Amino acid sequence: MKKITWSFLVLALLVALLPEVVQAQGGLPDPNALANQNLRGYTHMFIAYSIAWVVVFGWAVSIARRLGRVEKALKE
Amino acid sequence: MSPKIRWSGAVLGFLGVALVLVVHWQVFFWVSTERTMGVVQRIFYVHVPSAWVGFMAFGIVAICSAVYLWLKDERLDMAAVAAAEGGMLFTAVVLLTGPLWARVAWGTWWTWEPRLTLTLLLWFIYLGYFLVRSSTENPERGKRFAAVVGIVGALDIPLIHVSVQYFRSLHPEPVVMKPEGPSLPGDMLTTLFTGLAAFTVLFFAFFLFRYGLERMKRALVHRQLAGDAPLPEGVAS
Repeated sequence: MKKITWSFLVLALLVALLPEVVQAQGGLPDPNALANQNLRGYTHMFIAYSIAWVVVFGWAVSIARRLGRVEKALKE
Repeated sequence: MSPKIRWSGAVLGFLGVALVLVVHWQVFFWVSTERTMGVVQRIFYVHVPSAWVGFMAFGIVAICSAVYLWLKDERLDMAAVAAAEGGMLFTAVVLLTGPLWARVAWGTWWTWEPRLTLTLLLWFIYLGYFLVRSSTENPERGKRFAAVVGIVGALDIPLIHVSVQYFRSLHPEPVVMKPEGPSLPGDMLTTLFTGLAAFTVLFFAFFLFRYGLERMKRALVHRQLAGDAPLPEGVAS
């Protein structure tokens, strides 16, 4: 009986560890890691587009403000 | 500002905004997702047009600077300043969006590979263009020095283009500008060309306004030097 219990425990431990062992060898992709990478792709894409439009909009605002100042100064 | 510049700038601005809306629809709702990199590859449609506009702007700086040194026409120097400001901003977009793409595609934010290093160098050269301009006591000498920097800086642009062919680089080989024609799928190529058109038209709209601003600033400085009006705060030559 004791032998059966030990065999069962070793088998249960192996089953419990198996996915980790396979994963450590690169056999199974971690579904969370894949989801995080996809999410990171979206995040990086939105940040990239935001940077582009902040820079373009910022340049437009900067030119408009400087134009306003110079036009005012020229009228005075 | 002359009505001609104002109207041309406004028309180009509206056209640019319309094209930007079209390219956003294409990027987010129409173009297919690249198989290996996934959704992050869509940074391509803002990264490449920014690079194109940045390099074109520095090309304008170099041409205007060279002709300015020859003819001494003040308008060419004003055009060079306007283009250099836009070139720096669009190159900054390239340098900021590239690492966001690289972090996912290459697993690193930055690497000192030839194309990245030469593009960063280009940005610093044009930073130097503005520093040289403002660092001399004689403004005319500053303009001449800056013109030389503007010409020398543009020599970096062909180097950036060929760097992926002649040096070991993480950047992929060109997919559009190659002798046998573009290798991109049709929808990706269409989206890229819309992006290139949108950024180019938008750049020229802002370039015209910035050129008009430079003309007015110099008119104000000339007037101030003549003793007619004081120079207001924040309006430098």
